[in-house]
Amino acid sequence: MGELANQIVQGVLVGGLYAMYAMGLSLSVGVMRFVNIAHGDLIVLFSFLILALIHATGIGALPATLMTLPIAFVGGYFLQRFLLQRVLGQGVLPIILVTFGLSIIIQNGLLGTFGADTRRVSGGGFETATLRIGGGINIGVLPLTIFIVAILMVLALDWLLYRTRLGARIRAVSDDPATANLVGLPSARVYATAMGIVGVTIAISAGFMSIWTNFDPTAGPSRLLIAFEAVVLGGLGSLWGTLVGGIILGVAQALGAQIDVSWQLLAGHIVFLVIFLARPEGLFPKY
Amino acid sequence: MVDTSGIQRRGVLKGMAAVGAASLTGIGPAVAATPTIKIGLVMPKTGPLAFFTEHIPFVLDQVKATYGGKITSGGKTYSYEIVVRDSQSNPNRAAEVTQDLILNEGVNLVATFATPETVNPVADQCELNGVPCISNDAPLEPYFFGRHGDPKKGFEWTYHFFFSGEELVKALLPYWKKLGTNGTVGGLWPNDGDGIAQSKGFPPAIEGAGFKVVDPGRFDMPASNYNSQIGAFKAADCEIISGVLPPPEFTTFWNGCAQQGYQPKSVYVGKALEFPATITPFGDRANGLTTEVWWSPTSPFSSSMTGQTSMQLAEAYEKASGRQWSQPLGFRHSLFEVVFDVLKRAKNVTDPASVREALKTTNLKTIVGTVDFATGPLPNCSLTPLVIGQWSKGKKYPYDIVVVDNTNFPSIPVGGEPFVIPYS
Repeated sequence: MGELANQIVQGVLVGGLYAMYAMGLSLSVGVMRFVNIAHGDLIVLFSFLILALIHATGIGALPATLMTLPIAFVGGYFLQRFLLQRVLGQGVLPIILVTFGLSIIIQNGLLGTFGADTRRVSGGGFETATLRIGGGINIGVLPLTIFIVAILMVLALDWLLYRTRLGARIRAVSDDPATANLVGLPSARVYATAMGIVGVTIAISAGFMSIWTNFDPTAGPSRLLIAFEAVVLGGLGSLWGTLVGGIILGVAQALGAQIDVSWQLLAGHIVFLVIFLARPEGLFPKY
Repeated sequence: MVDTSGIQRRGVLKGMAAVGAASLTGIGPAVAATPTIKIGLVMPKTGPLAFFTEHIPFVLDQVKATYGGKITSGGKTYSYEIVVRDSQSNPNRAAEVTQDLILNEGVNLVATFATPETVNPVADQCELNGVPCISNDAPLEPYFFGRHGDPKKGFEWTYHFFFSGEELVKALLPYWKKLGTNGTVGGLWPNDGDGIAQSKGFPPAIEGAGFKVVDPGRFDMPASNYNSQIGAFKAADCEIISGVLPPPEFTTFWNGCAQQGYQPKSVYVGKALEFPATITPFGDRANGLTTEVWWSPTSPFSSSMTGQTSMQLAEAYEKASGRQWSQPLGFRHSLFEVVFDVLKRAKNVTDPASVREALKTTNLKTIVGTVDFATGPLPNCSLTPLVIGQWSKGKKYPYDIVVVDNTNFPSIPVGGEPFVIPYS
């Protein structure tokens, strides 16, 4: 019984990391209405960027991640403004093809630059710290931090989207780009800003991912799959839904592994399919 | 029927190789009287297994210093060339580059090493194309049975020397008995060649010796976390961990153990715990981790190529590279000992069948022990000695391997007593 409780707790914490992966995708799918196939690869790209910064300057993982945040914002802004914006509104297929191409370019670019080696960033003892909470349950400080940061990210993004002028603009452009343009909103710039914010969430998840798990140039697509499932489970456009979706996947994997460890990944996908069949619109759809 | 087609195919391939060689000499400005002997070397230069290749530049330098690019075989002097290909730690890629070596480079012999994921696909390609292949650094069972070998027939072209899984478990059991634990062993066996082989072979042997085995099941790598395995081991109070993981995966597992407050008394994980490069970053958490020892500076063997003792080889490597010795050094060195011994003994080194005959009848005292493929325990295989060691604080380096149990090979000296991991 204690073991089951322990696995659920660990699953919830893993869910925090999944939700973090999914946060940026939730924004681009839910608000900007396109699927970024390169989302996972962008996370891996920033993990490598953080790794390179640490190697070049000798700073810790936290300052390195913070340094990449502005780069991520500017990168996201220009990616949207000069590449993705050109194919938006031309149907579903062009944007998928463009981001798919981007994914291949990033993977091979990383393979050429860094080689196929599996990498990890050291958190300087942070990743092995633990809290004993009784009942045979220990909570790792790193997973707990990730979970808390994921919640803070949802709060911040929710506030940004629904309580600020920028958020109102983003939602207006998202609801009806033509009308938004008519009333004088610069829809291209608004979208670019939103993608900049997505970039920041990508850099934050990259920072945590690089400490918690191993990564290599081809690790992106598996991150995308998990992120996509979390977004669809939670319902399009709902950031809290994405967090819940991530947690459901994390717990499903932990419980599946109780039957046999080989069930771990499969259990997550099965739960996703079952919920998807029962509620195709997701648990907390905004639209 | 199958046999005939095999011979025909081989004939065709030889023909193709001959055409390739002819066109090569046609292009070259100087036509040598004797052909260049080409040795293909397939190894995981990049990817999660890249750790296995760090000694290669040093060993290739040694080969160069010894032979200077020329070998004498059957009364003739040939120049040789070693053609290196990267498997990228990927079995499919390993097969591809081997094909390239055989069909496009026309190599006379292929050498390879580092886990069944590299060795098996390379050996399979050689067997298929009728090219002699010599390999090491993958346990015998996953090498032989992983390639669907029939113990009655064996293979025609491919030979291998290393320790075996059976030998490993025989070495671990007396060591675990000396530790004084509750006798519950947690199995950390992934869904790959080594993991599947150990998950089948280990539990009966371990339980037969009076231990209990907890096996949570096979899992795919890379794993995002090891929470489930750690939870299962903790719940069953496993005081001993026995597994086989690549180094980055072990780091995920071992950090997870700390996060979950799980403190097993003894941790043996094959593949991961052999390298100082994986061990040293753990700091104090490296103390007491267990590794099998297939070669160490205290091994009582010496090289047939350079005459160095094990200690001299380790010291030469440390001096040349500035890095700490690690076990693969002995096996990289021995691989080339055998390769050149075979090439020298071959009656006609340009004829694959003749090289194969020389390979088959190898009986060489190498730096890792005697290599003799007639001794088994499986056909085409030669078993090398194995003892058990633990990482403890060293004099020259932060952590060094100390041999703690030599029950099966008393000729290899021990350097200390077995101890449980001292969590501080």
